[in-house]
Amino acid sequence: MNWKNVLFLLRVERKSGRLIRGVKATRYREHGIIAYWPYWLAAILGILGGLIANYLTTIIYADPTSVSGGLPPIKDSALGFFVSMPTLILLLSLVFTMFQQIQLAGLKKTSQVMYWLPVTWQEHTLASILSNLFGLPLALATGFAFGLVVFSVFNGLVVAALITTVAMFGAAFMGSATTEIIRVIQVRFVGAVYKSSGRAAIWVRLIGSLLFFLILYLIYFAIFTGTGSITFIQSIAKFQTSIWFIPYVWLGITLYYLILNSSLLLGIVFIAASASFIVGIYYLAVLLNQRFGLYEPPAIKVQTSGIYAPKAGLLGKLGFSTVEAAIIRKDIRAFTRRRELIGIFIIPIVFIIVPIFNSINISNQGAPSGINVFFEAMIFLFPSSIMAMTLGNMLIGEEGQAVWRIYASPISPKNLVKSKFAFLTFFAIIVLIVTGTIGVVFFRPSISTTIIAFLESLFLTFALGSMGLHFGFRGADFSATRRARMIRQEWSLASFVACTLAGLSIVAPLAPYIISKFASSFLPIAPLGVVELAISVVISGVIASVFTVVFYKINLGSARELLRKAET
Amino acid sequence: MSSPYAVELHNVTKRYNEIVAVNNMNLTLNTGEIFALLGPNGSGKSTTLKMLLGLVQPTAGEISVLGLDVQKDPVAVKRQVGYVPESPEIYEFLTGIEYLDFIGDIYGMPNVEKQQRITEYLKALQLEGREGDMINSYSDGMKKKISLISAFLHKPKLLILDEPLNALDPRSARIVKNFLHELKMQGVTTILSTHVLEIAEAVCDRIGIMYQGNILALGNMNELRQKASLPSSGLEDIFLKLTGTDDLKAVVEELLR
Repeated sequence: MNWKNVLFLLRVERKSGRLIRGVKATRYREHGIIAYWPYWLAAILGILGGLIANYLTTIIYADPTSVSGGLPPIKDSALGFFVSMPTLILLLSLVFTMFQQIQLAGLKKTSQVMYWLPVTWQEHTLASILSNLFGLPLALATGFAFGLVVFSVFNGLVVAALITTVAMFGAAFMGSATTEIIRVIQVRFVGAVYKSSGRAAIWVRLIGSLLFFLILYLIYFAIFTGTGSITFIQSIAKFQTSIWFIPYVWLGITLYYLILNSSLLLGIVFIAASASFIVGIYYLAVLLNQRFGLYEPPAIKVQTSGIYAPKAGLLGKLGFSTVEAAIIRKDIRAFTRRRELIGIFIIPIVFIIVPIFNSINISNQGAPSGINVFFEAMIFLFPSSIMAMTLGNMLIGEEGQAVWRIYASPISPKNLVKSKFAFLTFFAIIVLIVTGTIGVVFFRPSISTTIIAFLESLFLTFALGSMGLHFGFRGADFSATRRARMIRQEWSLASFVACTLAGLSIVAPLAPYIISKFASSFLPIAPLGVVELAISVVISGVIASVFTVVFYKINLGSARELLRKAET
Repeated sequence: MSSPYAVELHNVTKRYNEIVAVNNMNLTLNTGEIFALLGPNGSGKSTTLKMLLGLVQPTAGEISVLGLDVQKDPVAVKRQVGYVPESPEIYEFLTGIEYLDFIGDIYGMPNVEKQQRITEYLKALQLEGREGDMINSYSDGMKKKISLISAFLHKPKLLILDEPLNALDPRSARIVKNFLHELKMQGVTTILSTHVLEIAEAVCDRIGIMYQGNILALGNMNELRQKASLPSSGLEDIFLKLTGTDDLKAVVEELLR
């Protein structure tokens, strides 16, 4: 193993995020400290978290009798938390490295360079596993590590915190190595499935990806909602010893014996077992990479050969020109075939799962059924409007390096804006119909509530879609980086803030009606009537229309500018 | 702006900060002419081609294409131009036929004509049987063929081709060369850039040699020979002499040390 090679590969990987549109490429110089800002930020947040945790525990433990049933010694509570950290980091590492792998699906060229360089499979696999950790997984581990150490300094637990830190990074590696194994197996397996699926391969891939997201999110929300993250973390400490035969919890059990149970011998046994397991999964990843790493999935044949006949198309009948219809058709294919774009379907999945899970949990805890109104609103208003905003943000940047085709073609600004806006509203309305139907079936709201929720969702969809597209134009990122974002981060953030404010102003006219309805149950006031409600909805619609039209017109200007300044 | 020429560049300059990519260029192309732009890497060829299509805005000067001002009416210009970039990034999630169908629609081709021409081109460039595959499985040569078809499909009046024969197999390259000749007969103007000097010599009516943003020499082969004072030489010798890179022996010797 040449460690320098691993380091060189990692450096290249880290630098892969540089090609962001808007960054001046000539005479590029990188500031050594700023380049690692996510980890510095994580460290700072970790230190702050550690200080806050220490402050809070100091206050709480100043008078332990104030808490019903008393409190366990601070050392026991803290160490119980420490013991659960490796398993928690492992879960987070698994989830986030898998999401990163999906984002990488669109770019395979750069990762192949190392195949013809004098690099061994061991070096390549190790660099791949470590580079999977770049970004959120590593930032999370760093943040937690700093938090634990800072907290421990004030509570005399420094040695335990340092051991926990080592275990956390080991767990992160374990998660990433597992993702590497799954990735290689998936490449081989999916290739075989595509080959046998023939024309259905596109649908197999779409449905497979959606199922993957669904399963991942069901696991994620089953863990992190309801009983709460803190309860979950506490339960890991107790739970993991009962499943000691699963190697993924061995790092946690090691800590349990070393720092909580003071069983040095068992601790050493589990250290050895954990290290062996880490080495084992690493070598399994190496073996799989050697066997399947260079495997190229077979070409997906979408159409069988034969006489080609252009289709008349429904879009033409709906009033779209051939240019606009062509762009819409192309975008539909992009979002159903590009795995890094299929990820957008997370939005409706999340906003179906979250309200339903929360509603079930809160109802189980005896909350009044009236609380479901919030979840109904969530399942109606959020998915389609967030979908519209996100699609708007992505639709220009997703053209990627092939954007020259748009620049070089006789496409007018009107063609571009109309087709992109139509596409995003079309998709968002489908989402509204699906999530709305699930909301109606699950929560059984009244007809008037359903109609209002549907109308408000439509208003938000059009307005936020138009605004989202504006930010998509302004911050479009066409670069084909390994973690392509389609929009520059600062514009994505600006879009989120602006769309949140706009969304609030659109639904604001309904506030008097909602407040009067809730207040009437405990104050001597009459709730506003249907007429007032109808007026509120109309005002809301007018506000949304203004946002939609104004930003649509701004978008025409942005499109004109984009097509004129193609070079930048 | 009205112009008797298919392409006219008047005092065109393009700067990228302090770098001058194209320096005060004046160039006219006649209708039906095949013109080659040669030059070392970074000499400004691709920038010039992109400016013709409005993909790059000149810092100074005027450009007229087919009698239209590129700045004022870019969509009208693009409608009459076929363009192949040097490294064509194309929508890899589409199949070959879906991509060409998209191009036909973008250029407003009637369905019957689009169907007929796509079928003919796929057959001519031997892409039959692979047209239903997603482009991400195509070789570089196949992608180049798809790019060329997409430039020819709508019967443009001007072709702007950046390294058009790169990655093509000899048969396809010959078809494209012959096809450019046939198009010339029909009055189609072609401007291409290439590093393969034999292609320029064999196909083009006139050749322009660019170096550091300037056109060093312009004319047919005889005129270039005269300019370089190499009366019986080929284009390679002329090119190397004019661009000041004829001391190759010393460079190679330096590398071998």
